Amino acid sequence: MSTHSITVLKPGLETTVQELPGRIGYLEQGFPVSGPFDKWSFRQANLLAGNPRDAAALECQFLGPALRFECDAVVAVTGADMRPKLDGQPVPMWQSVPVAAGQVLELAAAYTGARGYIAVSGGIDTPVVLGSRAVFHMARVGGQALAKAQILPLGAQPTGPRDLLAVPEAVRPPFPTDRTWQIEALAGPNDDWLDDASVEMFFSADWSVQAKSNRTGIRLTGPEFGFAGRALSKGSDHGQDPSNIIDHGYPLGAVNLAGQTPIILVNDAPSTGGFINPFTVASAAFWKLAQAKPGDILRFRRVDREEAARLRATLETVTSAGVTVRV
Amino acid sequence: MLHETLRFFPGGDRAVEVELGDGMDFTLNFTVHRLVAAIREAAIPAIEDIIPELASLQINYDPDRMSYEDLVREIAAIYERIGTGISGTLPSRLVTMPVSYFEAETTACIEDYRRTYPDKRTDPDLLCELNGLEDRAALARRHSATEYWVAALGFWPGLCSLLPLRPGSRITAPKYNPPRTWTPKGAVGIGGALSCIYPDRTPGGYQLIGRCPAPIYDGAQRLPAFRDSLALLRAGDRVRFRPVSAEECAWIDAEVAAGRYEHDIVEYQVFSVDRYLDWARAHGEKA
Repeated sequence: MSTHSITVLKPGLETTVQELPGRIGYLEQGFPVSGPFDKWSFRQANLLAGNPRDAAALECQFLGPALRFECDAVVAVTGADMRPKLDGQPVPMWQSVPVAAGQVLELAAAYTGARGYIAVSGGIDTPVVLGSRAVFHMARVGGQALAKAQILPLGAQPTGPRDLLAVPEAVRPPFPTDRTWQIEALAGPNDDWLDDASVEMFFSADWSVQAKSNRTGIRLTGPEFGFAGRALSKGSDHGQDPSNIIDHGYPLGAVNLAGQTPIILVNDAPSTGGFINPFTVASAAFWKLAQAKPGDILRFRRVDREEAARLRATLETVTSAGVTVRV
Repeated sequence: MLHETLRFFPGGDRAVEVELGDGMDFTLNFTVHRLVAAIREAAIPAIEDIIPELASLQINYDPDRMSYEDLVREIAAIYERIGTGISGTLPSRLVTMPVSYFEAETTACIEDYRRTYPDKRTDPDLLCELNGLEDRAALARRHSATEYWVAALGFWPGLCSLLPLRPGSRITAPKYNPPRTWTPKGAVGIGGALSCIYPDRTPGGYQLIGRCPAPIYDGAQRLPAFRDSLALLRAGDRVRFRPVSAEECAWIDAEVAAGRYEHDIVEYQVFSVDRYLDWARAHGEKA
């Protein structure tokens, strides 16, 4: 066994290796971009572990794993609060934690949020598939969700003393206390397939996150949509249902309407399909979708491209190296 | 079916949908692929991914390197430069896929759906009725009598959208609503005017007519046809379905399981667009 490695004692519910920017350039063959669902927490975890912010790290869904370190390392846990423990003793999130060879890090079920991140110094060094270590586990691209007894290789460990860092609360991703999320979204590409009242309704209604949500899509429950002329009088090639359209590309973050069920298409979502996308979540707001639990409420706020650009700039600032402080 | 000019629909702050026309036909799809090739050649640094589809394409871009307005202007200029005429030849592999029509796994999948939605007509019967075919044998004959053009790949790694090239071979069908939660790996489906082969056990919406025992996706790259890629097909390939018996289907299943199966792929052919269109017109129907 490699000395620079981690052994998986318990895999957690669906723990995957993720990396940024994800699998770029293969959408035309149907490979999704993948990558971390909550980029904000992911990048901060890497910065705390002393890594480049886009290095390969672990994403944990709902229930975290138990991992034994086979070498000394620095680890950082961010994102959903999964109550991390090292050899049974609670350790803080949002800061660097030194671990010694043989110690066991265990995460529990998410107390707040839905997805936790574990970054380890040196990064996870699994094989690169089609340009990325990001895992699309449903199609086994880049690997699968972690399995018991699996050994995860780590990159080279830095030598010498290391700074222990923390991310101040003010620049961490803000989780709401009332389980209600405000999600910035843009109209389009297919908002012209809905009637005007339904476009307004989308931005004013409460949308509940269904349990059947995962890294391919966040399914929503809410009011019904009405359709515009383009959806109701169209060529037969588009299909029968008003929400059908000739197969087309699906933008990341698109609110895809299949019949009357809106599904927000996220990191592992289909690249194409035959349903309309009337709205698209601003890229800087994707992280909120990662942390919304089943039963949480989403409220969409309409933004334009200029505001989406400002949100990206803010996210860029809080995920840059300058946000960490020494402890 | 082509629009006068390109239509641009922004998809959030990192993507744009570019619509070339309205409809599913070879000419329109070929024009999409020509535009995609020209955009690739222009090597615009802000472009991260391009998804060619039947009548449109999607561009994913980095908006901090190039604005939406500049990107749209650039794409419109490229389209104006290349024009909409279609001619020439291009390399096109011919991939023959064995198919077992109306076999057990797809039948079980249809029946599983019908336990929840009993009003759903059995897929082959619905297809026969909607397309004026007298029985399942006639459906299988029509489906296997043409080459198919791989118009696009998407929804799942390796999943192909197949347009029939022979005039008169068109079979149309509505999609499942709501979609199925699972589909057998290798199932052959029809939705709209397209056929597809499901690369893996996935959700789906096409009406099912059979199953290909030879895979079009191999995540572990065990079989020789997957030496270079996890997905078998590429846009611009052609597919032909070869009906096989249940016995031959079972034999191929076993060969695949043993890692021995060799796909039937003809690599040396080119596809002449002009000659194809002439041939299609001579057969009395619009291509």
